[in-house]
Amino acid sequence: MSQRITRRDVLKASASLAAASALPRFAFAQSAGTFRIGTLCPITGAGSPYGSGMQKAIEIGVAEVNGAGGAGGRKLELFNEDGQTKPDAAVLAAKKLIEVNKVQAIFGTWSSGVTLAVMPLTDAAGIIEMNCSGAPAISTLDTKDLVWRFQATNDRFGAAFAVIAEKRGWKRPATMAFNNASGIGNAEGFKKAWEKKGGRVVASVVYEPNRPSYRTELQQILAAKPDVIVTGSYVPDSTIILREWYQSGQDVKWILPGWAANPDLVKALGNEVVEGLISVDSVSNENAASYKALDAAYQKATGKPVSTNVYASMCYDMVMCIALAMEAAGPNATVAQVNAKIREVANPDGTQVYSFSEGKKLLSEKKKINYEGASSKLDFDQYGDVTPDFGVFVIEKGQLVRHDVVAI
Amino acid sequence: MTLVDLCNLLINGTIEGLLIALPALALTLVMGVARFPNAATGDYMTVAAYAGIGVQAWGAASIFLAGLGAIAAGAAISIIFYLWVFRALRGRAPVASLVASIGVAFFARSMLTLFVGHDQQTFNLPLVRAWNFGGVRLLPTDLYVAALALIAMALLFALLHLTPIGRQMRAIADNPDLARACGIRSGRVLLSLWAVVGALCALGGMMFGVKAVVSPELGWELLIPAFAAMILGGIGSPIGAVVGAVLLGIASELSVPFVGPSYKIAVAFLLLLLVLLLRPRGLFGKAILSR
Repeated sequence: MSQRITRRDVLKASASLAAASALPRFAFAQSAGTFRIGTLCPITGAGSPYGSGMQKAIEIGVAEVNGAGGAGGRKLELFNEDGQTKPDAAVLAAKKLIEVNKVQAIFGTWSSGVTLAVMPLTDAAGIIEMNCSGAPAISTLDTKDLVWRFQATNDRFGAAFAVIAEKRGWKRPATMAFNNASGIGNAEGFKKAWEKKGGRVVASVVYEPNRPSYRTELQQILAAKPDVIVTGSYVPDSTIILREWYQSGQDVKWILPGWAANPDLVKALGNEVVEGLISVDSVSNENAASYKALDAAYQKATGKPVSTNVYASMCYDMVMCIALAMEAAGPNATVAQVNAKIREVANPDGTQVYSFSEGKKLLSEKKKINYEGASSKLDFDQYGDVTPDFGVFVIEKGQLVRHDVVAI
Repeated sequence: MTLVDLCNLLINGTIEGLLIALPALALTLVMGVARFPNAATGDYMTVAAYAGIGVQAWGAASIFLAGLGAIAAGAAISIIFYLWVFRALRGRAPVASLVASIGVAFFARSMLTLFVGHDQQTFNLPLVRAWNFGGVRLLPTDLYVAALALIAMALLFALLHLTPIGRQMRAIADNPDLARACGIRSGRVLLSLWAVVGALCALGGMMFGVKAVVSPELGWELLIPAFAAMILGGIGSPIGAVVGAVLLGIASELSVPFVGPSYKIAVAFLLLLLVLLLRPRGLFGKAILSR
């Protein structure tokens, strides 16, 4: 993933910081009887292309809930901080949110590193953490069941890669993984799913970051004559690997995660090298009414369709989930009581609802509900993880063109 | 492992080694003459590589012009920091300059990211297929990189051994007090030294950028391998730095079939450890008595 800080970003960041420091002063006066939510979206850093939109989506959700009279007799109150896509900065901001603003939930952490760094704090404070991160470790480290993940795990990305490779009839896959939790998670997830289908991975390699060349690693992989190479990688290493592969002249197909195979990669390599490369990213629940409602509000707020930011719909769903859980838990419920209701309002075996007011009405009639989110159908497993659908994008003439959507 | 694989690994190792050789040379020169490990070496590379990108972004498509721009920028930043920081610290313990150089490294990198951001950049070069000699693949780009590195080294050695300023540098490296007593004006010599160091870093950064990608951490990440190469070759010995770098490169690549790519860096350092156990002054180093 790449990051760029323009002067405008710096201005935006300092403006939001100024706003955040100005907020609590008048906020404290009315904070009795509200449910306080802190946001740690990646306004700056590697996540900056997404961060502002994520925060905007949370604000849209909060406005919707408060407009419908609040949840469980309480209004939602927001405290925004910038996670900076940096674990150290995010930890400082999380401490401030927890200790000064006394928030009851933290939303919108994006990079796995940030989520893993913030989790111990939220766990210790006994508050809810909702994130868009992929690292498999988040599932197992969440011992108190307070952490909810709205993005697919790297494991599931790997499984999606396997479905795609099978659909296209490839028989001899190989994997290349960047040596960290996310990269290896992708490759291992693929291997697991592929072997379950009865296939065999012909070669696999885990490589180190920051090397001037990956020819030796590539040579090992290509020697096994794979028909497709599946990666868990980022933009810089993918740039070097794909360039060296192209120069080697051996014919093979590629499947990369969406955060590696993006327009930056196309820009770095040129159209010819990346032609036909498959980029896989989770996609929103595009046919749901919840998505359409969010899309309209998001366009009004930012001028862009919400399809430009897959994480924005996840963040919107965070607000919906917590609000419906508050409604289900009833007035003056504690954080733990609200947390315990999240699966109940989002998972199947209830009437499907697509908005907060719809769900609130049914809950008041003592009916069971199943919130269908804008980001996915939002069915949390025992780890608090969801399984979104995956979009298969093929790079054609330098453009990422979506071919189909796969479910795992 | 077949002979073809072996040849490919040897080629990769040599090229990677030659890339590391340039910053290792810059380190060892500073170590020999100015007598401190310059932790800012890597960031001089980064700044110079971005200068090269800048030249291309301003419309000069020629990679040659980009290289000249990078070298000018590398020499300039190196001289600026010498005049600004390291000159004032001359005569103090080396650790003062070392700590200062770490500060210089952070400063240079932070200033850079403030203006260019964290996005990766690439040099605008047409991609060419590798020449294939029965499975042994040779990239034309790699050949240019190797040739350039060798030419730069030849020029450096000519400078050190055939010119008066080079002789003065070596005199200061051998014995600064005696050099001063002989009337060598160290100010001028050090200025040229830092210019050469900057140019070497620039060339290294530029070639790394051509081969891989240019990012703000480019040079900083190369610092440890360059240090290792310098120590392996013998601190202060230019030829040692080059030999050390190439040896480390080849050793790490050749180990891949046996230990896998995750541990190849460890193997390179194991080699370093062994050499230092048997020959503590490094391959080409001189035994120095501490006074």
